[in-house]
Amino acid sequence: MRNVVTYIIAFLLILALNFLLPRMLPGDPLMAIYGNEALIAMTPELEAHLVERFALDQPLWQQFGAYLAALVQGDAGYSYYYNSPVLSVVLGRLPWTLLLVGTALILSTLLGIVLGIESGWRRGTRRDKSLLAGLMAVSGFPDFFLGILLLIGFGMTLGIFPLSGAITPYSGLSGAPLVLDVLHHLFLPATALTLGYLGASYLLTRNTMITVLKNPYMLVARAKGLHDRKIRYRHAGRNALLPVITRTGIQLGRMVTGAIFVEIVFAYPGLGYLTYEALLARDYPILQGVLLIAAVSVLIANFLVDLSYPRLDPRIRYAH
Amino acid sequence: MPQLKTRTPLQKVLFIVLPIALVCCVLIIVYGGKGQPSEISSYTIADSTGDWGYPTPYTHYSRGPGYVRMSFIFETLVWKDDSHFVPALARDWQYVEAENAYIFELRDDVTWHDGTNFTAEDVVFTFEYTKEHPFQWVNASLVESVEAVDEYTVKLYLSQPYAPFFQDVAGTQPIIPKHIWRSVTEPEKFKGAQAVVGTGPYTLADYSQEHGAYLYKAYSHYYLDKPAMDELEFVKISEAMIPSALKQGSANAGDVPPEIVPELEEAGLTIITAPHAWNAKLMMNHQKEPLSSKQGRQALAYAINRTALVEITQRGHALAGSPGMIPPTSEWYYPDTPQYEYDPARAKQLLEGLNYSLESGYFTKDGEELKLELIAAAEFEEVGQFVKDQLEAVGIKIDFKTLEAKTVDARVEGWDFDLSIYGHGALYEPSVLPRFIVGEGFNSARYHSNETLNQLLEAQLREMDGEQRRELIWQIQEIYAEDLPALTLYYPNWYWAHDGSVELFYTRDGIAIGIPLPLNRLAFVE
Repeated sequence: MRNVVTYIIAFLLILALNFLLPRMLPGDPLMAIYGNEALIAMTPELEAHLVERFALDQPLWQQFGAYLAALVQGDAGYSYYYNSPVLSVVLGRLPWTLLLVGTALILSTLLGIVLGIESGWRRGTRRDKSLLAGLMAVSGFPDFFLGILLLIGFGMTLGIFPLSGAITPYSGLSGAPLVLDVLHHLFLPATALTLGYLGASYLLTRNTMITVLKNPYMLVARAKGLHDRKIRYRHAGRNALLPVITRTGIQLGRMVTGAIFVEIVFAYPGLGYLTYEALLARDYPILQGVLLIAAVSVLIANFLVDLSYPRLDPRIRYAH
Repeated sequence: MPQLKTRTPLQKVLFIVLPIALVCCVLIIVYGGKGQPSEISSYTIADSTGDWGYPTPYTHYSRGPGYVRMSFIFETLVWKDDSHFVPALARDWQYVEAENAYIFELRDDVTWHDGTNFTAEDVVFTFEYTKEHPFQWVNASLVESVEAVDEYTVKLYLSQPYAPFFQDVAGTQPIIPKHIWRSVTEPEKFKGAQAVVGTGPYTLADYSQEHGAYLYKAYSHYYLDKPAMDELEFVKISEAMIPSALKQGSANAGDVPPEIVPELEEAGLTIITAPHAWNAKLMMNHQKEPLSSKQGRQALAYAINRTALVEITQRGHALAGSPGMIPPTSEWYYPDTPQYEYDPARAKQLLEGLNYSLESGYFTKDGEELKLELIAAAEFEEVGQFVKDQLEAVGIKIDFKTLEAKTVDARVEGWDFDLSIYGHGALYEPSVLPRFIVGEGFNSARYHSNETLNQLLEAQLREMDGEQRRELIWQIQEIYAEDLPALTLYYPNWYWAHDGSVELFYTRDGIAIGIPLPLNRLAFVE
């Protein structure tokens, strides 16, 4: 219960920030809320309507009330650039980000855990050392840079992967070929992101693994005569999982904006790319919408991580 | 019991990597054989933004590329090719000076995409509709009234003489079908198959906002020749990838950065250059000393070497600014515009004339140093730095700051600045001059103190005789360059590359109100 209250307070704080930021920008708040397009699209009638709708002639707390009331009705604002409600634009892009970042997150976490467990288990061996060095080197590059390298190598030079976008427009594909087409476009950006994320989850698993291996219960497991693999994954690996899950949870929350650079490099139509476009067009309503979705997804991710802890580590249940 | 033999880490990794590699191979094999021969001719235009809105007059985004996408479907009374106004829905026209009206004779062989005949009623309806629902780019109040003389003749009465009527109204206002739009009360929300019924050579087959893609199909009953391409695609390809897409053949045309032009020419692509349409200018606060005096502003013009500025900050891919604002490549350019060739000595002389004196390298007056603040958005960082260096070299101390663009706009609007750098386009048709010289926006010089200039700016809009209008435009440039309310620094070069399968060309004075893109629908018709 106490948890839920914390979430509600955090959510309200985010809403308040989201509400205050455009109003703190220099110049006319209406211009700040509606961006440059308002200059072109604004008629006196519309302006009067908007002033009323946002209660801009009222004190700040009443404006906030009007903002909350609109939000409850699913109205997160209107983008004059896109000429449509913010929510529909943002939600249209969300699936692509989920696909791209979701794929990368799952792949990098799984790969990172497996490699981390194996590496930690064999700490100090040549394999461990080369894996460590190799992954440190790769994750030392920012993800967008890996993206550019992949794009130049496989897209421009070899020409075996598409140069940008998420599908081939008007290829007339459907069914399985369409799925393949989507995967074909997904491959390079997802690889760049996976490689970018991989290092952290690998290192984290490896380090925790090394600590876990020192615990007395490892000796017990060995003494029971359990098989190596079972000890490694069920006894050591599982106990090394918590920090990795926490980190993945944090990544999950940042997923909305986490792929922003990779999406720009590949012109991938996700939320990151939308953010970039909105910045260029100074489309504040869209930026606010993305911010809201990002904040909400951080909260949801946190909530999910909170839920998953006791399942992964039953000890947590007793701690409360 | 688990299996006896455990896997090594390497095997583990392979177990994960191999399936991925396999999928990847399958993909490559499947797509290796792509590009199956097709009997449909198709033309793909690459664009780095992609989405420019649903292509109806009321839903496309308020930018040139949005209008262009709409203009393949909806047509205007007149249109332009690379040198003239040409007939479009109107096959002939005449101006009746006594009544200040235009009579347009319409084509009688035009059908809407749904098969209905196009008549004068549609034109009358369009202009009446815009009284209530203004089209974003046409000032509806310029047309007083419209009447249908007969089924294929309309008469448009102007509210006052307006010289650029063809450019700004007849050649820009898209005509919409009465039988569909008469029941539309919220045109900004009207989308779907009915909303894109026009008379143009292409019909919309698909639009995807998130992928920024458009698919057009040729309209087989188009009144001119059959469209050159059966299909037209606009696809989103990131800016840096457009040259590669052109070389690989996955796009037929697109805009390209100047640096890559030689490489593309070598690869056999055709490069076309846009007539200069955009300028970056030095805004000067003419309400504050010493920029309030003409000599002060002229001193800055002499102090800045615009040719060097182009070479250094634009790597040579631009044209040095003309103090008259109209680019030297324009047909409206006044050949004797005062140029203020780079002359630091003359700049110093002018400042001394304003009672400033050089002390230890910088000008001072009454013991106070001449120090100006230059503010600009981050995109003008290099230009600003160059201007700062040049002005400091003659003895004007400059405090240069880059700020967030909106803050710059707000400060310029409130006259809270000394110098600023700002850019805008629309330099094709001189009807925009009032907007940028005496207009009230932050992007205007807001310079009202020269009565002659004010009168000339108004008079050129009303002068219906082309030659006499040119005379007025020349005078404007002369006075503007003399008074220098702002100084044009440079006009950037813009390039498009295409494979030559369609002869793309730049429209005279830009498409419609002056869009500097080579995507005139006429290129796709003959």
